Amino acid sequence: MAENNPYKVEVRHLYKNFGSLEVLKDCNFNVRRGEFICVVGPTGCGKTTFLNLLTCLLEPTSGEILIDGKPANPKKHNLAFVFQEPTAYPWLTVRKNLGYCLSLKHVPKKEIASRVESIAKLMGLSADLDRYPSELSTSTEQKVVIGRAFAMNPDLLLMDEPYGQMDIKTRFYLEDEVVRIWKELNSTVLFITHNIEEAVYLADRILILSQKPASVKEDVTVSLPRPRDINSPEFVRLRSYVTDQIKWW
Amino acid sequence: MKKHTFVVKNFLLNLLSFLSLGMLVLLWIVASSGESSILPSPYEVWSKFISLSENPIAGMSMLGHSLQSLRRVFVGLLAATAVGIPLGTMIGWSERFRAIVQPVFEIIRPIPPLAWVPLISIWCGVFEFSKYILVFIGTFSAIVVNTYAGVNLANKDNIAVGRMFGARGIRLITDVVFPSALPSIMAGLKTALTTGWGVVLAAEMISANYGLGMLVTRGSDSNDIQLVLVAMLLIGIIGALMSTAFTILERRLSPWRTDLN
Repeated sequence: MAENNPYKVEVRHLYKNFGSLEVLKDCNFNVRRGEFICVVGPTGCGKTTFLNLLTCLLEPTSGEILIDGKPANPKKHNLAFVFQEPTAYPWLTVRKNLGYCLSLKHVPKKEIASRVESIAKLMGLSADLDRYPSELSTSTEQKVVIGRAFAMNPDLLLMDEPYGQMDIKTRFYLEDEVVRIWKELNSTVLFITHNIEEAVYLADRILILSQKPASVKEDVTVSLPRPRDINSPEFVRLRSYVTDQIKWW
Repeated sequence: MKKHTFVVKNFLLNLLSFLSLGMLVLLWIVASSGESSILPSPYEVWSKFISLSENPIAGMSMLGHSLQSLRRVFVGLLAATAVGIPLGTMIGWSERFRAIVQPVFEIIRPIPPLAWVPLISIWCGVFEFSKYILVFIGTFSAIVVNTYAGVNLANKDNIAVGRMFGARGIRLITDVVFPSALPSIMAGLKTALTTGWGVVLAAEMISANYGLGMLVTRGSDSNDIQLVLVAMLLIGIIGALMSTAFTILERRLSPWRTDLN
């Protein structure tokens, strides 16, 4: 029974080879319902492959990914994805962007309108609803993309270094935003980053990937209270610990 | 202050445009003023234009001839658009389709529309239908090539996002690929419009009972250079107006594009 299963996502013995190149080797982990997971790992360790497997854009060589106890299927499960580059559709207004995935799922127009309004309110985008992405700053556009992903009530929200291109101030701001919305909507988030401070700031749990072929090298629980203080001794200790674990030089 | 300088700058730019048009007219006056000049002066051309409204050619006013030429362009262009955009989309979207169609297309594409005239005349006669076909041939490839390029280069992340949200097939093309490719498609249509206008006039010069191209030929045959110039000027002015109208239409169709303002 799905209700008795505490895990939203279960990844079991996941392998992925491209020809003779082993990219993932025996990846195992679980994500609990409503958990915020960060994935860190050395550059080029196969994070993108890992994500593409989770979104079912790629087939694993062997192993399985279960969502609510059933094999992941983009037709049945709502998987949302936020890319590194802001990918709001430039030809749609913010309102249409936020509602796009809902219109694909044939949600009635009235319901789309009200859900878009509430997501916009949550994201602080209400004033921008009728503007086009080209009229917004990059960080606001990324907020639209994040809002669009949350609007579909995803089973799993995957974020691939979404703040990689942002300046520090914007990044801090958007990190707080994503935590706030995640809590409010009780979603399950898997957030990939190469920024260790960001991982410790956001995550309930950090998965550290090894070098290629990647597997989950360590699973670090972060139980610091939120909002977190990046200067507290415990935060600094965890950050250095994760940094030591990730070192490949 | 800033707005003020903006207005002044705009005014100066417009002034420059008017001056350049003035220079053209001035050059024309100078070129036509010599004793032995065969070029009629602007004034003579203007009088010819006025007199044509009293003595219409082929029972049709200048406006009538212009509209006939325009109609031919638009029928041909519309047909080319209706076939060219879906074809270009398929070539851009499906590798297999591209492999089949592209070689044929690449061979036919460099043949200028007027080289088709003998064949078209045999197949379709010399009347309206053959002109539509010629405009079609002349505008088709610009539309196909630009649509293909736009679809082929449609932003991969945008497509991935659409797929992830569950958009498939036609829905993915109409919702994501098409708007991504629209700037390129519009550029193709704009080129096609200019080419089509040129093709129809050339076709009319070869054989037609009315139209601006026919007026050029008529003027040439009867040594009426004034008539030739009236037709030429109308061709130029109408072409420029179409181009402007198209730009306005494009802005309407893609309100999100900041590069059009």
